[in-house]
Amino acid sequence: MAKIIVDGREIECRERIPVLYAALEAGWDIPHYCYHPGLDVVASCRLCLMEMKMPHPKTKEMDWSPKLLPSCQTPVKDGMEVRFNSDRVRDNRRDCMEYYLLNHPLDCPVCDQAGECWLQDYSRKFGEATSQMVEAKNVNPKKDVGSKTLLYQDRCVMCSRCVRFCDEIAGTGELGIVNRGSKSEIDVFPGVPLENELQGNVVDICPVGALLDKDFLMDQRVWFLKSSDSVCPGCSTGCAIHVDHNRDQVWRLKPRFNPGVNDWWMCDEGRFGWKYIHDERRLDRLVVRRGAEIEYPDWSALDEIARIRFGTVVKDDGEEKVAGVLSPFMACEEAWLLARFIREIAPKATLVMGPVPTEGEDKLFPQNNGDSAKFTIRSEKCPNRRGIEMILKNAGGPSVSFEDFVKKAGQSEFAAAWVVGGYPGEWVTKEFASSLAKVKMVFAQDLFSSPLTEAAEVVIPSCSWAERSGCFVNHEGKIQPFEAAIAPLEGCQRDGNYLFALSGESGLYNASRVRAMMAEVMPEFGKLHVPPSLPKHAH
Amino acid sequence: MAKFEPVLLKNLGVEGSRTLKVYRSRGGYAAAEKVIKEMTPDTVIESVKASGLRGRGGAGFPAGMKWSFLPPERKVTYFCINADESEPGTYCNRVLMENDPHQLLEGILIAGFATKTTVAYIYMRVEFHEQFHIMQTALDEAYKAGLFGKKIFGTDLSMECYIHRGAGAYVCGEETGLIESLEGKRGWPRIKPPFPAIEGVFQKPTVVNNVETLCCLPHIFERGVDWFKSIGTENSTGPKLYTISGPVKRPSCFEAPLGITCRDLIFGDDFGQGMLDGRKVKGCIPGGLSVGVLTEAELDCKLDFDDVRNYGLLGLGTAGAIVIPDDADIRQVLANIARFYSSESCGQCTQCREGTNWMYKIALRIALGAGRISDLDLIENITNNMGMMPGLSICGLPDGAAFPIRTIVQKFRGEFEDHIRRQDPGYTKTVLKRLNPAVYELPVLGRRPESLVGQPE
Repeated sequence: MAKIIVDGREIECRERIPVLYAALEAGWDIPHYCYHPGLDVVASCRLCLMEMKMPHPKTKEMDWSPKLLPSCQTPVKDGMEVRFNSDRVRDNRRDCMEYYLLNHPLDCPVCDQAGECWLQDYSRKFGEATSQMVEAKNVNPKKDVGSKTLLYQDRCVMCSRCVRFCDEIAGTGELGIVNRGSKSEIDVFPGVPLENELQGNVVDICPVGALLDKDFLMDQRVWFLKSSDSVCPGCSTGCAIHVDHNRDQVWRLKPRFNPGVNDWWMCDEGRFGWKYIHDERRLDRLVVRRGAEIEYPDWSALDEIARIRFGTVVKDDGEEKVAGVLSPFMACEEAWLLARFIREIAPKATLVMGPVPTEGEDKLFPQNNGDSAKFTIRSEKCPNRRGIEMILKNAGGPSVSFEDFVKKAGQSEFAAAWVVGGYPGEWVTKEFASSLAKVKMVFAQDLFSSPLTEAAEVVIPSCSWAERSGCFVNHEGKIQPFEAAIAPLEGCQRDGNYLFALSGESGLYNASRVRAMMAEVMPEFGKLHVPPSLPKHAH
Repeated sequence: MAKFEPVLLKNLGVEGSRTLKVYRSRGGYAAAEKVIKEMTPDTVIESVKASGLRGRGGAGFPAGMKWSFLPPERKVTYFCINADESEPGTYCNRVLMENDPHQLLEGILIAGFATKTTVAYIYMRVEFHEQFHIMQTALDEAYKAGLFGKKIFGTDLSMECYIHRGAGAYVCGEETGLIESLEGKRGWPRIKPPFPAIEGVFQKPTVVNNVETLCCLPHIFERGVDWFKSIGTENSTGPKLYTISGPVKRPSCFEAPLGITCRDLIFGDDFGQGMLDGRKVKGCIPGGLSVGVLTEAELDCKLDFDDVRNYGLLGLGTAGAIVIPDDADIRQVLANIARFYSSESCGQCTQCREGTNWMYKIALRIALGAGRISDLDLIENITNNMGMMPGLSICGLPDGAAFPIRTIVQKFRGEFEDHIRRQDPGYTKTVLKRLNPAVYELPVLGRRPESLVGQPE
């Protein structure tokens, strides 16, 4: 740790980080555009300039430097003294903010970024109310740079973060700067649009409304959005994300800082892969079939139905004829509750992990420049394989692989099964469906209708991860909690709620309460991986 | 003063001066051979330091000092020769390369020996088409004669030399911009530290020197340090090429000891020989556009590295004088200068990118006859915000833009005001309204009072 003095106040900070970041962490609001902790320093926005005490070249006395120094480029050194509250620093910020707005169209009312725009914030805080410019502004029309991204060039502050992101993190380098001086602009080469799989991040790191997401374009004013901390279920990397939602509708996902896992980034597959949450074809009521008869009972009846029906099977066919298929899309808590319920009714029941979807190979970024991987999209397209494995291992007793389960079910070795889906796409294969037909009684807990739900005796509409809470265990064993962002679909219940009731607990499901119960038998769950939050004024 | 015997230009006008044969017959490469065979790199650096040779590229940094910043333990050193002569009004490097390419190559040999250079790059601006071919021919000739390559003069010294042509950007004359451009990147000046002496071309120790600086080297070692120090003034030693352009009788490139006055340069018989067609001098930009302007009354300013600063100028610059005659419209001059910087700003730092363009727009409006008195204050303000305070930007271009514009507005303010008072107020109003009706109609609010913002609550 180093001790430095900022504006006359001593702060402690890590060694060798930029003074800018040390000050941000200590609570200062230092304006900055080009600096991003995940990217190279270019020191070109000139907003974060500071004064530093240096020995006078002749007298060797320590005094404030005649030069202003970029704080993003100056590393912390023990004992250094800097200040941001001098007139020169303030004047520079004020002038800079005026320069930034010279050619800015001031179209905040129609700009998506308004409300989370650092040009707005800094102008208000560090700038002036009026501009001294009477000249006509430079006009620069918007450009379509990629299938998912729009570039409004005249809102750009030329911080070059997006260019550096494409070079350093994505490694594809589609974006570049063309022309010179005030005519310089961000652009792509003709015929080479911005099409890398991390392109959504350039919208996140753009401090202003220059790069915008076509998917979110003109959808919502950001001040209506509420943000919930969540974990992306797209692959086993387990990126920490924010789910931005309003009135129980998810509008977008944004990455959440999570050092060592996803850092500041997330992939487009995860970012735009949430649309199934609001799919109209989702199952939305509890269905109980008695032969040809169909009933839609109240949720409160599920407990009794499950206990009676499974009890009957256990009595008639024996304990070992019961199976439970846990999906790698379930939260650990839900899987644990369900496993506990099944084992309670039938201690010799077989527990199975549902199919683990994989796709191609792991994709490492940066792609082309041979650097070590800074971001990975995993081939395993589910969030919680490891978590389910941990639950199964802890539950002990009979357990088979999914393939064996399908085979055994086809040979009528099971009489009852609780099958959990929750996959965003189709997952029930023909083989699986035909072997399940040999199982007398199936409880299907899934999002969409499929041959499975059509044949099942009881169909329980499941919820997407955005409507649930719990924790996922990512590929390297980090246990990461996520909270429910939106209310469940009308007619659905949070999976945790009924599983909690089923396993004989009273009261409402609460993920942390269940985790505390789990931690008694699985101490790993006592320690969660919760990433540190970014400094308040960092972006 | 006795007539000055040209040193750098001694081969000017000699037939075949571009060829190795003629250059050698006039004593060429003797100094380099003597240095490489008899001296050590350290003694060369010491001699250059003792000679007081200051960089001719504009900033006037002592050349020997620059070389001594190189880290002592190094395997590779790159040497860049800055031949990106793009300062408006300057053409002394061009004259040197056109007429005496081997003098430069000899300088490269000496400097390369002193800095233990492995590869030297001559970074030449793209507009130098003919000069490129002249240099390339001379370099090929030198290679053939064993002056570059392996075992130079039969010693163990080996050094390669290449000519690299730029892509036409003013900012690539800045040393780190030049390095970036040489590496094949966008010509954006780098942030310092690390300085080029530690991490330059391809992340290796690098020296960047101007063509003219290197051309002085053979003469220092041929005639001795004391001879070199005897030329010029105390702190600015040696001969210097001065160029002069504008309506003078003899616009050309002249050699003189450092420290002649600007008046000498314009009116001296050896130099400009006075103004053309009975014009008078309104002002003179003495050292390349970026240094600022001198008025007629200030022409006695000595053109060396120090005296110019007493007249509010940035420095000597490249000593390329531009004479502004009395019949020139000062508004046009200002607009033209502002246009240059607006188009040449690299666009990296905010102040420079936006400020130069803003000043150009204002200067253009003033030139069109729709200026306001307050615009003059505004321009001065912008120059202050943009370049007068050190450290505001990565390179020196905004300083270079601020000085000429500010000095012109300050020193010729009366003239600007006369023009503005004489113009048609109705027209001014129409133009302003048309440019930006919203801004024009809005009441002007006061500037926000200073408050402590940005500190933790």
